[in-house]
Amino acid sequence: MAQFKQWALEYVLSDDEPAQLEITKKAAQEIESSRASSTVVGNWAASVQQWMTPASAEDDHMDDADGDEGGSGDIIARAKVLRLIGFFGAMFSYDHKAGITASAKALRQLRSTKSFKPNMGAKILDDVCKIKEDFRLQTAVTRLEIYELFLGLIQDPAVSSELKHKYGSSCGFVVDLLQVCQSERDPRNLMIWFKILALLVSDYDPSPEVAEEIFKVFSAYFPISLRSSATPIGITAEDLKEAVRSCFSAHQRVANLAFPFLLQKLDQGDAVTLDILKTIKACIEQYENPQANIVPHIETIWNSLKYEVRNGEVKETIDATLDVLRTIARKLDGTAAYKLDVSLLQGYVDLVSRDCRDDLANPTYTKQAGLLLMTVISANIRAYVLYNAGFIDTIRQNLRQPKSPSHTRDLLLLLNSLLKTRMELFRDRRKGHPDDVESLRTESRSHLDTLFHDVYLPVWTDKTKEPVSEERDVLKQVIQGLALLVSQQVLQSDGTPVLLCSGSVCSEICSFLSLTVTKGLSLSSNDNDTEDTALEDEAVLALRTIVMNYTGGYAELAGRVKAEIKKRDWTHPSEYSLGALKDLLSRFTFIGCSEAPTNIATDTPKQFSPLQHFITLTASLLEVFPLSSEAESIRLDESASANALVISSLHASVIWFRDACEAKYGKEALTSTFSGNQHWLDEFRQLPDDWLLQVQRGDGDSSAALPLLKEDGPEVYHQFLKLDLFIVRYLYRSATVGPRGPWDERALVQLSQMAALVVRSLDEELQVSCNLADEAFNFFRDADKPSPSSSELLTGLLTLGILQGLRPGALTGLYNPGGQAPRFLCGTPDFGDSPSRESDIRAAIGAILANKYKEGPSTPEPLVMKQTLDHWGTWLKEATTSSPPDASTFQAHTKIALNVIAGAAARQDKHVLALIPTLHQAASSPHPNGEILARSLGLIVKQNDLLTPENHAVVKRFHKQWTYSHLAKPLLQPAQPGRPADPLTTTRYRIAVLSVISNCPFSVYQDDLPLLIRLLVTALAGSSRAELADDEETGWSQTAAALGVLVEILTHESGALTGYLREVIGGVTRVYQECSPQTLRKKNEGVGTQWGAARTALCRRLALQVLGGIPSRFEERHVRAYALPTQRMLAAACGDPVRRVREVARVARGSWARVV
Amino acid sequence: MERDLDNANPTILNVSQLPSRRRTGPAARHGPDSKCDSIVYPKHHWPYGASSSSDEGEDDAEDPVDAQDVYDLISTISDPEHPHTLGQLSVVRLPDIHLTPTPAELPDPDSLVTVLVELTPTINHCSLATVIGLAVRCRLEHTLPPNYRVDVRMKAGSHAQDDQVSKQLGDKERVAAALENDTLQRMVDKMLETCA
Repeated sequence: MAQFKQWALEYVLSDDEPAQLEITKKAAQEIESSRASSTVVGNWAASVQQWMTPASAEDDHMDDADGDEGGSGDIIARAKVLRLIGFFGAMFSYDHKAGITASAKALRQLRSTKSFKPNMGAKILDDVCKIKEDFRLQTAVTRLEIYELFLGLIQDPAVSSELKHKYGSSCGFVVDLLQVCQSERDPRNLMIWFKILALLVSDYDPSPEVAEEIFKVFSAYFPISLRSSATPIGITAEDLKEAVRSCFSAHQRVANLAFPFLLQKLDQGDAVTLDILKTIKACIEQYENPQANIVPHIETIWNSLKYEVRNGEVKETIDATLDVLRTIARKLDGTAAYKLDVSLLQGYVDLVSRDCRDDLANPTYTKQAGLLLMTVISANIRAYVLYNAGFIDTIRQNLRQPKSPSHTRDLLLLLNSLLKTRMELFRDRRKGHPDDVESLRTESRSHLDTLFHDVYLPVWTDKTKEPVSEERDVLKQVIQGLALLVSQQVLQSDGTPVLLCSGSVCSEICSFLSLTVTKGLSLSSNDNDTEDTALEDEAVLALRTIVMNYTGGYAELAGRVKAEIKKRDWTHPSEYSLGALKDLLSRFTFIGCSEAPTNIATDTPKQFSPLQHFITLTASLLEVFPLSSEAESIRLDESASANALVISSLHASVIWFRDACEAKYGKEALTSTFSGNQHWLDEFRQLPDDWLLQVQRGDGDSSAALPLLKEDGPEVYHQFLKLDLFIVRYLYRSATVGPRGPWDERALVQLSQMAALVVRSLDEELQVSCNLADEAFNFFRDADKPSPSSSELLTGLLTLGILQGLRPGALTGLYNPGGQAPRFLCGTPDFGDSPSRESDIRAAIGAILANKYKEGPSTPEPLVMKQTLDHWGTWLKEATTSSPPDASTFQAHTKIALNVIAGAAARQDKHVLALIPTLHQAASSPHPNGEILARSLGLIVKQNDLLTPENHAVVKRFHKQWTYSHLAKPLLQPAQPGRPADPLTTTRYRIAVLSVISNCPFSVYQDDLPLLIRLLVTALAGSSRAELADDEETGWSQTAAALGVLVEILTHESGALTGYLREVIGGVTRVYQECSPQTLRKKNEGVGTQWGAARTALCRRLALQVLGGIPSRFEERHVRAYALPTQRMLAAACGDPVRRVREVARVARGSWARVV
Repeated sequence: MERDLDNANPTILNVSQLPSRRRTGPAARHGPDSKCDSIVYPKHHWPYGASSSSDEGEDDAEDPVDAQDVYDLISTISDPEHPHTLGQLSVVRLPDIHLTPTPAELPDPDSLVTVLVELTPTINHCSLATVIGLAVRCRLEHTLPPNYRVDVRMKAGSHAQDDQVSKQLGDKERVAAALENDTLQRMVDKMLETCA
């Protein structure tokens, strides 16, 4: 019965037709499913009966009358709602205990019905307020329901106007409401209560007395806090604070109460201070009519707040205080649409200046006073224009008689911040009122003009002699200030921005900072012993900012740098000179190319191009190159030669400017395709070699190939690439046709990598139209010039550079019969004196050519790969059996073969599969070359930087899995130990498998762990090395590979090792002992060469790493048996001669110490 | 946990001011222009083939345990009352660590070496000096090989009772007994938590 009654009630209260239908269905189901149906039907009828009105008695469909407003249905529905309101409202006066929640819910429902009228809202408020003191006895949930009801009513515009009409400004209902709700404590309820209070203040126009009553209610909660509770309610203390704050800032009618109240609270401690400051700020921001509501309080606010900054220590409080002061200044200025009278702002800034000006002379308070002044002056353009001259003048006077270096530093810091703010205000000038732009145009500039000669220069000359650390800070401020000064712009009378400083001042500043940068090279090593480069770095950053604005400065810097470099003789430079040259070039490149310059007019009009610094830099570098015409004898410390440093800088300039383009024009600019069919190389052929210099000088006819850019954007990047290609072409020609002297290995490697970077940035169409695939072998030499004999290494590196960046589609021509590709894919050249270097290059070229091979439509091409791989198959077979070459030649050629296979395997070429049996066979050949092949097989899957998507290589996602499953997996079974019949094959296969998997990620071989772990254990066993022909090389590489894989397994799936712990711990302990320097010294091996020492140290480190990873990954019962001997061994390992090994040993010792 | 600290305002060194191994050699410059240094001035200038991947070599040179190593081991121990390390508070100083024989004179890697560490408490009546000494001793005994003998003392004149404290720290029995005490052991463990 109760159920039906409830449903009937819900039905009546619901306005929503589907919900009503749902209730009807539920009732019907209940009737159908019950056994004693007559009783149920009776209950149902009784529950419905009470809601039946005569009008709707015929059918039990109780619909609120829709249709015309004044219709009879409407009147009936209204009467019904009124009756219900009367019924539920009465609950609050009589029957408190039972149905307050339900009644409140019902009233909320009724409020949303169509027949609800505003006067009913007033009645509800009246009725509900009758609950009086009993309200606080209700549960929080019930109260929440009533608050929701109140909020709904008060927010309702119709109800609101009815209430205003009924009660006027005396707001009688408000007083009742306040009485009912004033002692609320539940956070959820408070959130709504505060909302109601804010609405009452802002929307209901209460009389001052009532407003004060409301103010008393919410201010009693300030400052609010929230006790932490075990059951989170989804409301934070911050939410509550915000809610109270919105009450304070709801309307200016409480301004006279709010400001005194808040300021009085200020002494209560830091956490509260922050809340108070934020509240004051919110009030200032929200209150309208500042003249009447804010101005009267400004002096009190200022007097209370200034000490928060002047004597404050907590950064958050200081920031919040400054925020308040800034907000006042902004408010007093007006809005973007409407400016207030200037006297308000003036009065305020005068007030602040009066108090702060004197503090600037006192070193203890300089910073704070400056901060206060800065904040109000820089709040808006109007205040800035009015007061900055005076402020700067005060700073200038104080700088003349500084009390200490830190006083000077603080004053300069202020000056710099002022200049920085000026830049920001200038940049945003259009966002504000039109008057702002006008005032910027007419502002006086004389105080800014003289800053360099009056302020910065005297301080610099004073401090620069023998700067101690505090004075270096001052100098840093001077440098930063100079950069800011040069970046200042002013508006001309026609409104166009122009640099503030005259060309001569800019140039003076530039030359002055250039001296700091070039100092390293102009001094000798004895005169320049400062290790601290902070000042130079500051000067570099400043110069970059300067030349981006004052573009003429970079050419001046370039001239100076060139002159400094040319002063020295670079035939046999000292280490110091090379270091200084490296620093200078690196900085020179950074200054010019790490950003694209901005076009700002100066007093001396100049041509502008975003590329001009890049051109200046590259032209200057090419002009000084080569610094010495002879290759230096190989340096012991492997540091780069002067010539290589120049090439490195060219390379760096391309990287920097490319990044700058990306930053300025977005990533799209870098990937957009080039328009039209361009033959850049044809154009280049018409140009002289010193074309860049001509462009830099701006010679008339030289710029035909590089039309002057009017706009920024992708076109800048295209022109940049064109210049890059020109530079690459120039250097390639110089390396192959010109004298061989300047080109040492480092320079060539840098050139090759630079070429790769440039070429890979071009799209395929351009790579084809420039015929770069052929130029990779022709090196941009004109056909008529004979090619002088160049070394394999040189040509190889240059070829590699271009091939590395080409897209597969641009390479197709090379695979034709008689083309260059087959020669490199199948060649087994005779390497001269540097077999390792030359074979590295050939291998790299082979890998690229095998990888970027794209099957074309013409017939012979598909055969190329098959022929290549067949060729290597045959060669490997022969080289390990019938006609074996010597080991070093075999090693070099194997490297090429395996790299070619790696290139093909990366794109999963099916011809590779046919070659695999041959590889297996050759690896198991009795000849020692088989062992070399077996331990090198990992090259096929080794990470190769040339085969990456950035280099446009074709790399299939699962190629390593593919290669592993065909190359190594079939060997797992035959490689298992304990096959006495063929021990050699077993060993070789084991070496091959280890070589492959140590270059694969764990996921590739994780399915074969049981078989693999047995191989690993065998590899660690001492006897395994005895079976090898080349015991040292193969043995150590096998051990290192096995240890590396063990580390991987331990990290990813240590459980697999549980059954093998004894063998693993025993194995790695043995490896560590065999590799320890004492043992090796006794056996007199391994430690002789640096290579050997490094290899054994690596094995020791990995062994300890494996050991250290064990205790934390296994239950103690598995490892306890090994604890004692292992701990002893690890304690001794902590004294290992190699530091890195000691570190790992300590970690391992720590983890084993926990095993008891 | 509110209690009076022995020394409420100790002098604290910045981490960059602490002695470290890196500063001994000519350090690579890290200016604003150094972003692409690893590409244009690479450490190994030959990027191709097998030799490129080996980053071993320089770091794997033999280099016996020296005073800086010992300093690195103990300077990261936390102070029991301040949220700083012993290195930052200058309780442990590099010049006060002595190895005999010095690493250069070491006749054989297994020969006996004595490590003497002299501690300087931040104030001369520091009640926690013994605990600090105990932690330093524990740390060194857990990390140095067995042929190193550890001797921890208070620097002469740095503590009102430096003799007594040094004697206490030198007495094996008393050190072992102290570590039997759960509270002390927990305190030492807490101090050693910050050691890598």
